[in-house]
Amino acid sequence: MKLFRFETYKIFSRWRTYISFGFIALIVTMTEVVMKLSANEILYRMMRSFQKDFLIFGNVLNGWFITAFVMNSLHIHIPFFITLVAGDIVSSEATSGTVRLLLIRPPSRSKIITAKYLTTLFYTTGLVIFLGLICITLGLLLFGNGDLIMNYQTKFRIVFIPQAEVPLRMLLAFTAAVWSMTVVASLAFLFSTLAENSIGPIIGTMAVVIVFLVVGNFPFDFFRMLSPYLFTTYMVFWQRFLDNPIPWQEIAKSAIILGLHNIGLFLIAFVVFDRKDITS
Amino acid sequence: MEAYFSKEVVLRTHGLSKKFGKRWAAKDLNLEVYRGDVFCFLGPNGAGKSTTIRMILTLLTPSAGSIEIFGMDLHKHRRAVLSQVCGIVEKPDFYLYLSAYKNLEILGSMTRRVQKEEIMEALEVVGLTSRAFEKVKTFSHGMKQRLGIAQALFTKPQLIILDEPTTGLDPQGMKEVRGLIKELASERGMTIFLSSHLLSEVELVATRMAVINRGELIAQGFVSELLDKEPMEYSIQVSPLDSAVELLGKLTWVKLLSAEDGKIELRVEPGHASELNRFLVSNDIEVLSFYPHRTLEDFFLKITEGTSEI
Repeated sequence: MKLFRFETYKIFSRWRTYISFGFIALIVTMTEVVMKLSANEILYRMMRSFQKDFLIFGNVLNGWFITAFVMNSLHIHIPFFITLVAGDIVSSEATSGTVRLLLIRPPSRSKIITAKYLTTLFYTTGLVIFLGLICITLGLLLFGNGDLIMNYQTKFRIVFIPQAEVPLRMLLAFTAAVWSMTVVASLAFLFSTLAENSIGPIIGTMAVVIVFLVVGNFPFDFFRMLSPYLFTTYMVFWQRFLDNPIPWQEIAKSAIILGLHNIGLFLIAFVVFDRKDITS
Repeated sequence: MEAYFSKEVVLRTHGLSKKFGKRWAAKDLNLEVYRGDVFCFLGPNGAGKSTTIRMILTLLTPSAGSIEIFGMDLHKHRRAVLSQVCGIVEKPDFYLYLSAYKNLEILGSMTRRVQKEEIMEALEVVGLTSRAFEKVKTFSHGMKQRLGIAQALFTKPQLIILDEPTTGLDPQGMKEVRGLIKELASERGMTIFLSSHLLSEVELVATRMAVINRGELIAQGFVSELLDKEPMEYSIQVSPLDSAVELLGKLTWVKLLSAEDGKIELRVEPGHASELNRFLVSNDIEVLSFYPHRTLEDFFLKITEGTSEI
């Protein structure tokens, strides 16, 4: 616990940790303000496809819809912000030479690496919660409350979630988003234990995430075959909590696969760090 | 000299070896460091000093052999051993974005619970009280070195391991650090294990030493004993010169090398160095200067002759 506290103190003493929070605040604010200014256009585009078949009343372009929209748009950007800290947390100790000070202390390497991993997860959780809070707060302030209507164009269907049910659905969705992002954090963390500078793990993790996303979304049979083996396929499972009915089986499967990735990636990082000769 | 030191072994290595690829960085090292020693580990660059220190501090896993500290096997009792050991490897790297105080608090708390007063006291000893709450990135190399020693102080270790502690320091910084090392050993009863390639440093601070070259141990023992095995050369300025030359020529343990311009160059057999000045003064020869030529460097060159290119 003490090691976890110190690791947390260390990462929150560095300005780079706050870059992510700053950028998220900026992007979300900009997006929501622009959406507010373009509300009529957005509403027109939203309704265009189904206004012939449905009569829709009430505040459709509300804070919840905006939150879901922003989350959907940012699921590629958030991993980058996560890698800024996760990719740096071990490798920076090697770069700065402090790893030598750290590893000659009584706590074992296994305790140190576990504390660092927990800190990485804590930061990841904090970042996604921050994204959620700022999205929802600003969204509700600018666009107000209302039922959530999701238009899943690729599945040719509309999902309607009553206003009273939306906060819980959002809570579940953000919990799932945290779970998804921990895999990115675990991957960056593993790379961080392998490297002696921060750039490699950050670029390496982003390269893996982008390549997997691209490969997983190619509309060819060969790539569709690969898709189940890519963790990025399961990372969007948070969206399933904004579906009707909630596909619990699919969610459980995704959560388990991502969890196994977390365990596997951490175990490799653990073994690498535990056996590593410190020559730097 | 030996009588002043305890025979309690604080650090002992048995056949300690480390291989990187096909190269042995350290081979079959059997070191013994006694309580109260200022033990200097001497060797040229690349001799294996840092590798050995890193193995002792668990940064490297030995390829063979074992390390015993305070009578306990290091790898079986890592926590118990390291809670009594403090080390600085290569250079004292701290978290630059944290203050000196916070660095000490974090690093110290990994060993035991530390009080604010203890941290401040340690900073006072190394003269950093006024900079306690400034970020370490504003510190000079010398200040970081002193901060390194401060962290050694307040965790109250029994054994301090320093890898080339004066490297990169200016003469004043070197003097300060050497002074602190001596103080830690003499006033706080700590055992110091330090590596150095600055040969003069060993003479100034060490009580016992080991010489390593190409990963192999060449010599080990009390500095004075090892040095006294070799004849020592002196330059002396005396008056009157002729009388002094005549008197010295009668001594069997002195070999005159030259005598000109009021200065005599001579070689003295081991164990007689202290007699030389006394002999001259008692024979009404005025000794104006007395300068030893022998340095540890001479010793080192001699001992590694044929095995190293320094």
